[in-house]
Amino acid sequence: MKEDHAMTQTFVDLDVRPILLNGGEPFSKIMEAVERLAPDEGLRLYATFKPLPLFQVLGAKGFSPEAREIEGGDWEVLFHRTGEQPQAQEAPGEGAAHDDSGWPEPVQLLDNRDLDPPEPMVRILAALETMASGAVLCALLDREPVFLFPELEKRGHAWQCGPDADAGTYRLLVRVGG
Amino acid sequence: MHGVALSRWTMSYFAAALAALMAAEVLMAAGYGFPSAPLRAPETLLLVHLVAIGWLSLLLCGALFQFVPVLVARPLFSNMLPLPTLVLLLAGLVALLMGFLQLGGALGAWPWLLPVAASLLAGGFMLALYNLGRTLWAARPLPLPARFVAVALVFLAATIALGALFSSAFAGLVTSDALLRIAGEGVGLHAVAGIGGWLTFTAMGVSYRLLAMFMLAPETDGSRPRAVFGLGTAALGVAVLGGVILVVFDMPSGLALIAGGAAGLAGIALYGADMAMLYRKRKRRVIELNSQMAAWALAYFFASIALALILIGLGVFYDHIGAVVFLLAFGWLSGLGLAKLYKIVAFMTWLECYGPVLGRMPTPRVQDLVVEGPARKWFVLYFLSVLAATAALLGQHILGFRLAAGLMVVATALIAAHLVRTRRLAGIGLAGGVRRPHLFLPGPEPAQP
Repeated sequence: MKEDHAMTQTFVDLDVRPILLNGGEPFSKIMEAVERLAPDEGLRLYATFKPLPLFQVLGAKGFSPEAREIEGGDWEVLFHRTGEQPQAQEAPGEGAAHDDSGWPEPVQLLDNRDLDPPEPMVRILAALETMASGAVLCALLDREPVFLFPELEKRGHAWQCGPDADAGTYRLLVRVGG
Repeated sequence: MHGVALSRWTMSYFAAALAALMAAEVLMAAGYGFPSAPLRAPETLLLVHLVAIGWLSLLLCGALFQFVPVLVARPLFSNMLPLPTLVLLLAGLVALLMGFLQLGGALGAWPWLLPVAASLLAGGFMLALYNLGRTLWAARPLPLPARFVAVALVFLAATIALGALFSSAFAGLVTSDALLRIAGEGVGLHAVAGIGGWLTFTAMGVSYRLLAMFMLAPETDGSRPRAVFGLGTAALGVAVLGGVILVVFDMPSGLALIAGGAAGLAGIALYGADMAMLYRKRKRRVIELNSQMAAWALAYFFASIALALILIGLGVFYDHIGAVVFLLAFGWLSGLGLAKLYKIVAFMTWLECYGPVLGRMPTPRVQDLVVEGPARKWFVLYFLSVLAATAALLGQHILGFRLAAGLMVVATALIAAHLVRTRRLAGIGLAGGVRRPHLFLPGPEPAQP
């Protein structure tokens, strides 16, 4: 089935390598490109690393990834439309602190793995300050940010956190303003 | 998954613990207790308990109230209990030290002092055990580092039980033959349960998590750390429980120590391989001072085990047991404690002061609260003077030991001065309503959201 899609689908190219090499954050650029895709189009993304976090975010939008390493250690990922919009976002793990029904798609994605503690906490709180009420941030972490949770609650944000599909990674979703 | 708040009284535990460490070092430098006095003299007992309870146990209790919740990602069962726990432990410690003074004839004969001390200490430790135990119980199944802590708490209970028995026997309150036999021959078991089961096993478990976290190394949860846990638990169980049973049946408890020791050695060897792997596989190439100094502490741990084996091989272990215990207590446990304090105090101070304003204004990094270069000198002085003191003990050079202990006082005082500097936010501008924290007391109760 997927093969057929791949055969018939056309792909819009997006190369985020220059942004990444300049130390930039290409997430908003990618989401813009995805929003502009026609119903029969997929996305061909070039990046300097395998963009695992994106697989989940775009998976929730009905895309399935097909990644291959290309020359120079870069990656080419074809995001096929699977034609199936998932019903609701998967609850990320047991013990979710808040009701996750009706959470919008994340508008910010932070890959906070391999950062010295407490840098992940600093980045998440800084990013949240720039976001509109109701917007959702997604962060990937090496461990549960246990000192962050009380701060999120004090600031009135809602959050869910649980193990990611990627072993050894935790996924945190924060909705600004509860 | 739950959040973890700052433990309000942990800094007070740390302050009391550091005061006890410095007091013990000053006493050693002044020639009080071993090696100036015999190993089993009341003066040595005073010194040993000042270090084991006043410094190491208060340090670990304070740290565990903060880090057991981190290990299990659950809040502490009670944030109210740590204060009465601290008060009971400090009162018990003072009574215990006075009890030893009385044994040594420095105070009038108050035979009730030791049982009172034991009751106060047992009360304090029971509150700590209850609080940490309930926290761990609610978080089952436990991750591996937390399982180390759980077993260590059991051995803390065993250490207290044996200690309480000794104090009752001293006061003539024990009449049962079996209990009197344990009281008479259980000192070694009390020491193994305390230094090995409670202090070392906690340090081992916590080191897995803290070193991985601060060096960005992969968390170890494979078969080898599980084997370390299994062998360590079995070793301690056989040595302490087996030892008590042998003593009750009037058999030599040394057999249990030998059997436990063999399993313990295997566990320690595997632990060494795990720690070497954590350092080797770290993603952070340049490591912070706390991780550098933890490596010294680990080296001293393995050196003390090697020293014990050499002394056993030479047939002179019991002549030099003081040197082995000294290296374990000051090189391994105290060295690791001071190294991790340096990081934990900075982190907790940073979170207390800047947590509420993170993202809303420019804030310093945790590392801006410390100056590692100057602090490194005093850590190196500390570790070298511990080495010199151990050598002096082995060479039975009392004056050399006292001089080395004097250097330990200097090094510890200067490390403590760095911790004070961190608490004072020295060299960091205060902006945006950030207040300087109290040196070792909690700030005002945080407003409930």
